[in-house]
Amino acid sequence: MELTLTTAGSYPRIGDAPDLQRHRQAYGQRERGELSEEAFGEVEDEVTAAAIREQIEAGIELVTDGQIRWYDPYSHLARRLEGIEINGLLRLFDTNVYFRQPVVRGRVHRRGPILLPEYEFARSVSSRPIKPVLTGPYTLARGSILGGAYASVHALALAYADPLAQEVRDLAGAGATLIQVDEPAILRHPEDLNVLEEALAPLAAERGTSRLMLHTSFGDVTPLYRDLQAMPVDVLGLDFTYGPKLAMLIAEAGSDKPLALGLIDARNTKLETREGVFPILDTVLPALKVGQAFLMPSCGLEFLPRDRARQKLETMKRLRDAYLGGRS
Amino acid sequence: MSRQKLARLGLDLPLLPTSTVGSFPKTPELAAARTKYARKELTRPELEALEKKATEYWVRAQEEIGLDVLVDGEQYRGDMVAHFAEIMGGFRTGGLVRSYGNRYYHKPIIVGPVRWPAPMTVAWWRWTQSLTTKPVKGMLTGPYTIMDWSFNDYYPDRKSACLALAREIRKEVEALIEAGAKIIQIDEPAISVRQEELPFAIEALSLTVDGLPAYFITHACYGAFETIYPDMLELPVDNLDLAISNSALDLLKIFEKDPFTKDLSLGVLDVHSHKIETREEIRARIMRGLRVLPTERIWVDPDCGLKTRTVEESRAKLAAMVGIVRTLRAELPKTP
Repeated sequence: MELTLTTAGSYPRIGDAPDLQRHRQAYGQRERGELSEEAFGEVEDEVTAAAIREQIEAGIELVTDGQIRWYDPYSHLARRLEGIEINGLLRLFDTNVYFRQPVVRGRVHRRGPILLPEYEFARSVSSRPIKPVLTGPYTLARGSILGGAYASVHALALAYADPLAQEVRDLAGAGATLIQVDEPAILRHPEDLNVLEEALAPLAAERGTSRLMLHTSFGDVTPLYRDLQAMPVDVLGLDFTYGPKLAMLIAEAGSDKPLALGLIDARNTKLETREGVFPILDTVLPALKVGQAFLMPSCGLEFLPRDRARQKLETMKRLRDAYLGGRS
Repeated sequence: MSRQKLARLGLDLPLLPTSTVGSFPKTPELAAARTKYARKELTRPELEALEKKATEYWVRAQEEIGLDVLVDGEQYRGDMVAHFAEIMGGFRTGGLVRSYGNRYYHKPIIVGPVRWPAPMTVAWWRWTQSLTTKPVKGMLTGPYTIMDWSFNDYYPDRKSACLALAREIRKEVEALIEAGAKIIQIDEPAISVRQEELPFAIEALSLTVDGLPAYFITHACYGAFETIYPDMLELPVDNLDLAISNSALDLLKIFEKDPFTKDLSLGVLDVHSHKIETREEIRARIMRGLRVLPTERIWVDPDCGLKTRTVEESRAKLAAMVGIVRTLRAELPKTP
């Protein structure tokens, strides 16, 4: 059994040590007009490179760029699309983090590549492969204020799917082998599974030889697990921290797709132990019909202080090695 | 009926009692002093003296405006969870985490058994109450919200952390009651974030207040109605304070299906807007409540703490609110 270590998206931008405050200081300077956009971009480059370096040093095999440039999971993509304006703050699911809500004003379409330059930069500073992460069309639609030509979440999800499919095409063309699509909103709206499936289809159609990982978090995926198996994606990323019965269900139902097991709680500082993680691996891994699985944090690591985020990754690596070592 | 409970507690409040959710903006003098204190240019006693002065300013302001149930205005508090985490045993200040944009905060970490050290809010309450003959509310953050807004390195799960906190916060409730507080507000703005955890959030609040002689209010935030009504009616408090003025919810429809069984504090001022509400707007918001509940069961307040508004905006908004409530009191038919 292969158990590849990956991360789920965001990484903390700053730490508590004085030398880890660069991003926050630069952000303030830019807001006060003391730093140009270009100079701020260079700081973002530096911090992105550091986030990648920390992941690699901790032993992560498939890294992300830490989403350092993302204001939040919604507005980073939406503000670059035609037909969208960005509104005030709204709470991100059950977190203490806020996002700026997109407001649809007209027809949604892409002006140009959004994530491609970010992916290319990340790849240029990483010795390990990069997994691009994007927020999926359904979740973007659920978090937006309807307007323009779109009267329903359904219609808007399909409208977002088109520019996101172009993003997938660009990223696959640039060499990304696995692309993560976050769709946490479906957990709160299981009645929209058909909308999700329809909205993911254009992305799947453009993935070429790359694979899509559908990732859900901020809720219990157990009730939707069987339905997600039918989605037009190649890998399922699962947050285990909400669903005490998820492991048993996977043991019963198996999985036709490789799974990314979000067993490391990215929302709490407590470090995982073998007593907590090994029994779940023992339950889940034998049920997988394919030889590959991933181990990862339950969601992006930005909910944690920087030092603890790194310790989480080091812990994940140690547990993975001990688990496989004990079984070889 | 809770009006009877208020009477039993010796409180004689007018119909549609007016109050606030807790925080007022720091006075400009205090805001400057807090910056100086952070730079170590001011001593702790010097800062405290200014916190008292600001508290007294807000007590006078509330009296001048004509509010019925007063608060201390939380001039000494930063964050509503960190404030208690810093005083209680079992917590450590955590590293910085981002909230949005360039805003970061130190999220507390539970690292050992949580422990009530000694009265945390009683001295402020007692001092504030000494400045006025109007009742002053005791103000606490609830166990579920403290748990949800902290990391937990110690307890095996969220529920056990929450219940442990509940037992300790009860000691603070008892201390407030012993000091003479008759109305105690226990804020649970996080209460609706994880619907599936509501049962233990209710269990926790019961551990905190059951059997204690005070009129209890719980403030929640937007969204609570949509996600946890009617289950939230099981919260063991007399009054639920809900930010509903901003939402387009049809209370009538909701209450027709599941009758509202408590007193309701109607949040009628939008604390996130600079704009001062007109009397007509406030009247319309109060009337929405009066259409669905008897007058005796409605309180009137802003939809959240006012700390993000300026001193002038806060005063103007509250004055408009109290003005229209007085008009309504005169207009409304007296219930026997």
